[in-house]
Amino acid sequence: MGTEAGSVPGRQGVPVGERFTGSSVKRMEDPSLLTGHAFFVADARLPGMLHASFVRSPLPHARILRVDAARALEAPGVVAVLDGWELAKLAAPHGVTGELGQAKDGPDFSILATDKVRLVGDPVVLVVAEDRYLAEDACDLVEVEYEELPALASAEQALAAGAALVFDALPGNLVSAGERQEFGDVSQAFAKADLTVAAQIRQHRHQNVPMEGRGIVASFDKESGSLLVNAATQGVNATREALAEQLSLPQEKVRVQAFDIGGSFGLKFGASREEVAVCAASMVLARPVAWIEDRYENLSASGQAREESFRAEAAVTSEGRVLGLNVEMLIDAGAYPGLAAMVVPTVREMVPGPYRMEALAFQATVAATNKASYVAYRGPWASETFLRERLMDLIAKELGVEPLELRLRNVAHRGESPSRMVTGPSLAGLTTRESLELMAELVNLPEFRRRQQRALERGRHLGIGFATFIEPAPGPRALDKPPDPDEMEHVRVGLDEDGRLLVYTAQMPHGQGHRTTLAQIAADQFGVDLSQVTVVVGDTDSAPPGFGTGGSRSATMTGGATLHAARRLRTKVLEVAGQLVDVSPDQLEIRHGEIFQAGAPDGLLSVAEVARAAGDGSQLPEGVDRDLQATAVFDGGEGGWSGGTHCALVEVDRETGQVEVLRYLVVEDCGELINPAVVEGQIRGGVAQGIGAVLLERSVYDESGQFLSGTLMDYLLPTAHDIPPIEIHHLQSVLLDQDVNFRGVGEGGMIAAPAAVCNAIADALGSLGVEIKEQHLPPARILELIAEAQG
Amino acid sequence: MLSDNGPDARVLAGGQSLIPMLSLRLARPGLLVDLGRVPGLDRIELGAGSTFVSCMVREAQAERSEALLRRIPLLRDTLPLIGHEAIRNRGTLVGSLCHADPAAELPAVALALDAVVTAQSASRGSRRIAARDFFLGPYTTSLQDDELVTGVEMADQPPGGSCFLEISRRRGDFAMAGLAALLAIEAGKVQRLRLSFCAVGDRPILWTEQELQVAGAVLNDDLIQHLAETTSAALRPIADVHGSAAYKRQVAAVLVRRAIRLAQLRAESGPDPETGSGG
Amino acid sequence: MYGPDQKVDIQLSVNGMPRRGAAEPRRTLADFLRDDLGLTGTHLGCEHGVCGACTVLVDGEPARSCLMLAVQAEGRQVVTIEGLAEEGKMGPLQEAMWEEHSFQCGFCTPGMLVQLSHLLKTNPTPTEAEVRASISGNLCRCTGYESIVRGAMAVTRRQPDGD
Repeated sequence: MGTEAGSVPGRQGVPVGERFTGSSVKRMEDPSLLTGHAFFVADARLPGMLHASFVRSPLPHARILRVDAARALEAPGVVAVLDGWELAKLAAPHGVTGELGQAKDGPDFSILATDKVRLVGDPVVLVVAEDRYLAEDACDLVEVEYEELPALASAEQALAAGAALVFDALPGNLVSAGERQEFGDVSQAFAKADLTVAAQIRQHRHQNVPMEGRGIVASFDKESGSLLVNAATQGVNATREALAEQLSLPQEKVRVQAFDIGGSFGLKFGASREEVAVCAASMVLARPVAWIEDRYENLSASGQAREESFRAEAAVTSEGRVLGLNVEMLIDAGAYPGLAAMVVPTVREMVPGPYRMEALAFQATVAATNKASYVAYRGPWASETFLRERLMDLIAKELGVEPLELRLRNVAHRGESPSRMVTGPSLAGLTTRESLELMAELVNLPEFRRRQQRALERGRHLGIGFATFIEPAPGPRALDKPPDPDEMEHVRVGLDEDGRLLVYTAQMPHGQGHRTTLAQIAADQFGVDLSQVTVVVGDTDSAPPGFGTGGSRSATMTGGATLHAARRLRTKVLEVAGQLVDVSPDQLEIRHGEIFQAGAPDGLLSVAEVARAAGDGSQLPEGVDRDLQATAVFDGGEGGWSGGTHCALVEVDRETGQVEVLRYLVVEDCGELINPAVVEGQIRGGVAQGIGAVLLERSVYDESGQFLSGTLMDYLLPTAHDIPPIEIHHLQSVLLDQDVNFRGVGEGGMIAAPAAVCNAIADALGSLGVEIKEQHLPPARILELIAEAQG
Repeated sequence: MLSDNGPDARVLAGGQSLIPMLSLRLARPGLLVDLGRVPGLDRIELGAGSTFVSCMVREAQAERSEALLRRIPLLRDTLPLIGHEAIRNRGTLVGSLCHADPAAELPAVALALDAVVTAQSASRGSRRIAARDFFLGPYTTSLQDDELVTGVEMADQPPGGSCFLEISRRRGDFAMAGLAALLAIEAGKVQRLRLSFCAVGDRPILWTEQELQVAGAVLNDDLIQHLAETTSAALRPIADVHGSAAYKRQVAAVLVRRAIRLAQLRAESGPDPETGSGG
Repeated sequence: MYGPDQKVDIQLSVNGMPRRGAAEPRRTLADFLRDDLGLTGTHLGCEHGVCGACTVLVDGEPARSCLMLAVQAEGRQVVTIEGLAEEGKMGPLQEAMWEEHSFQCGFCTPGMLVQLSHLLKTNPTPTEAEVRASISGNLCRCTGYESIVRGAMAVTRRQPDGD
């Protein structure tokens, strides 16, 4: 396991040589979770609370001819039934709510379907009743008459001439057709190349599937005209912004709170159409209304991701140097606009990865189809790694070079120029080469190849696969861009009269342990014990600006902002303390919540006493800053990459197509670790999702757009039998910032793992002539590929 | 109660198959008849040469019955493959047979063992239905609406070897293809062979040595390959999100080879004195 | 016999205390525990018996409370996650899992803890394979399971005080 050498793992309140940072201190979040006293949105019980349920489309594409809710209105316990037209009067979006709660360019659409349904599960009618069972009963009584339309079940179908339109305002179902962009001299790269390796590579549709689905409790108070929301959300500010805009309420009249959240991985962001509808219902009824999504809704309608395909060509020298890539990308964005078009710039920027490429041509098309909307899923741009790492193996095979060796030939040496990706971002501080070298040692490749050969002689197929990646966590400072406070993390730190340090952030942890990790930083910087710190999250009334948790920002940006804010507060506190004990502040320090003169063993006074004195003011002269709060804004500083190398070892049963992951290794570099156990938990969780994506998970639509994976027996998640122990080795990058060298790790596991596993399967089946150009490899598909290869 | 309410009434035994259908609103019975309160339905009656498993015997209870597993070693292989522990704590053997999910393991085992269910109705008394007459199609048995299965009788397995193997996406999932194999050999020749598949058709599918025309044949690799090819080619599996029909046929053949070999190994090594398995 | 709208009286023991309520025949045990008895520690992740988040003990054996009707629990002894901590004090299993960072978002936790507490009662020194087999019916989306297995294994190395 990876606790830092010399640290004391898990002992609450016992620092490592006086530091909490770097130690796997136990999480403050855990006691309530472990004893059944957590508070998830489905646990909310308000007086007079009603329950909402949706009537949803059984068809992928149809006109709505008639909605008859008469029988539903008569049903026991039913308080209201709202259709799309009624809701359109209450909530009038001007476009996509999208990420960050901002309206995006895109076709207008209604909160509930009005004239058309555009996917199986499209919400049509909202029923509100005294009880969830009664609400669902009443949903069964709503009659909707549809006229079926041709369904667009794939991006290719949607883009074909004469295809039916998902939105009239989207000609050709084209959400966006980006121009081809070139970086470096593309034609020269291909002219210089000794060979070109071309491939069509695709990823399949799969999805977040947190164990807790979406949920919201909306309470509108008619008298004050204010809306109080309890939502499972990754960002209370973004949700407030989205709801206020959609419901035409001033932001000050909307308060969003979030408590415990059962995972999200990018799903629970801003406000979905259902959440807006539930808030609107509460406004109409002036009563609290709760909606707790069920698993069918979560699988069919909450959103899906990753359905992206590529045509790519690589310009390669005979020594295996990849000079450049020419890439065309196609994204299946689903029906209602979501994140898809926004992911393109990041994919484009990231596709060269840590390799020294001199040229890139990139073009992306985004198509609308009759499927669930494309949402953010842990590392939304991850297809760039899948494409690049699969290509590297195809190139290696073409040249007869070991895949690991090919990567080493293409990775820059640290300090070697150019130290920028051809698409612009700085590569300063990357330890990709070191991670590849360490991985080679750890797996003992020559020994594995001997073992693989012996196994093959006995009819068994073992394989090894690698993937390198870099993750913008949060990424280096953008070129030519002035700092934008909206994109930075803000932290406010304050002191209460008991001497408790309060850290306010817009981060909304949903498993990442921020209430602990940020406290570790604050405690160290300020000088109190961990038990003296409270990280305050989950309320727009107290949250500083910031969109919430996502994009692997919290370690660096929020961690950095916390560090700087805590230091500023310490300075202020020492100023006040200095006045109280008549000692110069630069002679004073804070340890364990007490003020000491440097070098003296006895405390002079407590932080609590300083706080009380500042609050009272009578003991202090005029002009002393008594406001014991400090804020800091941080943009991530220099560097900002996490990354490394993943390796999977698999065995493929060629008779049944079943794959077992025998061993999985990660060599990663996320700079300084705030809490090693938290870091490793994030990595393992991401890797598990990556393994799941390849072997088990697929969001299934048939050729007619009918949705087929609506239960957890159809959409398979990995179990404890499917994920092996994952060995993690940490590197530490060159320290680039004087103070803040923590990087994010939330997404890396999920970005690299699918490539590592697919590369391993390709390696295992290489002797059979199998070529892998896709990410989903269930047993049936593996046998098909073997049959195709064997002719 | 069943006779009064016809098809609108469903029997609630373990509930592990029925209650998800209620939650998903795929089944909407007007009446549930809960057998959980009726005393005496959870007996495993060990008779001379056969065992009667009453209708409320839970799968976990059967799994813990050494006496039952010694008499019917096939169940030792099969029961741990059904779902997960929490499912088996509630689910019943008889319930699984009556639910007749084409992918379920126990119907195939019942067919392999030539099990006999006892069905009882208020007006007509009881009757015995052999497994080969019981499973008619997907989720369809030959039970009348007013009949309740009070238990299933399974004869002790004769000497020889047996095994149950399945190919599933994850451990505990329904099979994509499953096979119960019973084998008796003498001097290397097949005396008795029963191959009973689940998940590769609309109901469990049984072949005997007679139907396969292998009675008295030498059991060697060629014969096993021939059996794998013949049986799998005759299957009409139903494709689903987990596998195409062609895939299921392919792995069915793999199962035939692996199951017969394992059953042969067990037949040759004799019963395990400790557990009685291998028999 | 009870009509569909008619509520059935239910008396049972929950976490060692006699409790009673009334529920329609179709109401699941999970909803009864959460809504009627206010024990929201038991979570619903799928409502079709696959994810295991709703696992409770019924007469000492793990069962999926979303696959039981409340009326079936009449006269039974049910233990939920709230009942695993005596007087809110964490037992050795919870302490070990806290130490080992076993969980992240906490949603699967109740079902995992109920299942593992049962395992450790019947098999106090399980192998890692036995732990994985025990929780193979409990889905976790955050951890990749390794930290959960480590937490369970760590219990066997702790000597519970006075257990």
